[in-house]
Amino acid sequence: MTSTLISSNANSKKSSSNNTTMNGDSNESPLTEEELKKKETPITVSDVLRLRKSTNSYLIETDENAYKINFVHFRIRDMNTNKILFEVERDSDDDEFNDDVDSSAGRFVQYNFPASFLKLEQVGASVEFTVGDREVKSFRMIERHYFRDQLVKSFDFDFGFCPPNTRNCIEHIYDMPEFDSKQIKEMIEHPNETKSDSFYFVDNQLIMHKKAAYSFDLGRSQ
Amino acid sequence: MVLLSILKKLRRKEKEMRLLLVGLDNAGKSTILSRINGEEIDSVAPTLGFNIKTFNYADYVLNVWDVGGQKSLRSYWRNYFEATEAIIWVVDSVDKMRLGECRAELQDLLKEERLMGSSLLVFANKQDIVGACSLHEIRTILELDSIHKHHWTVMPCSALTGQNLLEGIDWLVNDVAQRLFDPD
Repeated sequence: MTSTLISSNANSKKSSSNNTTMNGDSNESPLTEEELKKKETPITVSDVLRLRKSTNSYLIETDENAYKINFVHFRIRDMNTNKILFEVERDSDDDEFNDDVDSSAGRFVQYNFPASFLKLEQVGASVEFTVGDREVKSFRMIERHYFRDQLVKSFDFDFGFCPPNTRNCIEHIYDMPEFDSKQIKEMIEHPNETKSDSFYFVDNQLIMHKKAAYSFDLGRSQ
Repeated sequence: MVLLSILKKLRRKEKEMRLLLVGLDNAGKSTILSRINGEEIDSVAPTLGFNIKTFNYADYVLNVWDVGGQKSLRSYWRNYFEATEAIIWVVDSVDKMRLGECRAELQDLLKEERLMGSSLLVFANKQDIVGACSLHEIRTILELDSIHKHHWTVMPCSALTGQNLLEGIDWLVNDVAQRLFDPD
């Protein structure tokens, strides 16, 4: 039996998660990507929270970092059926990804989902990462999803301490934002205009920036 | 008490709870967490770090921190005590040889100042296995009745069959909610 114990018991009333917001979650004045790129001091959490749209390029040149934090496994599943919708695994011993012909490999993911994805009720998004032989005192992840520069979902998770030489995992299980049929139609008709930026910080300094783009295909059945 | 009431208001808005899932290695912590969230449990490997799940439970967002129980990892548990509202202590009810070690680790944990006031759920896991210690034995060997500084309960459970997993989480969430979120 693979059904989810929780959903069979949890209150069916949709509750909004604390780390979900449809608006910007900073009251501070907006910042642009261009302004951030000119910044001479390291980019901080509050800096990226002031961005009002997805970025066009990377805010940091390389994801290589002194802590050797490497992402080794991604998975997205439908919580109602436990069906895996996307999964990719990388060799954790490989500092360099095998396919890194250019510097952006491993930093960008192109997702192609059947359109039915947009109507799912609840999904689980998990990432696994390894940490090198230095402990990480304060690790934080901020992920923001946009459709045409409108924020549709955001995550802000503070891992805090990560022990050295470990493999760690986090799965966010969340209710999908509810899209109306007009929004869904637009998202299908404009592939890759649904985008996300993932920012990772150690001690409030940006150390990694990853991106993804999403397309939704009517022709594919699930 | 002004500060406290502000804190309570913030908390109420967020309705977030942080649960720490700990116990000796091979107790079944990750399997319990996977089982609750509908994952296949036949491929659960030893946790060589931490394993976090955040999910909605009734009106709350639970952040469950499952931290590896191997000896080399136990010294890192303390890094996750801050802001922890509840502890789930998982016991391998079949591993009778290590119940003494299990009691010592639990007692050390409960001495932690930062965990004062946190609710404690003890899961006597692996009850599906013949020869598992009874709830009464676990309660006695772990000296649970000597715990006075924490709200606690002990439940027999099985990560394999799902027995009592939700009942346990339910008890814990309600206990924390009564302390933190109840209208004053």
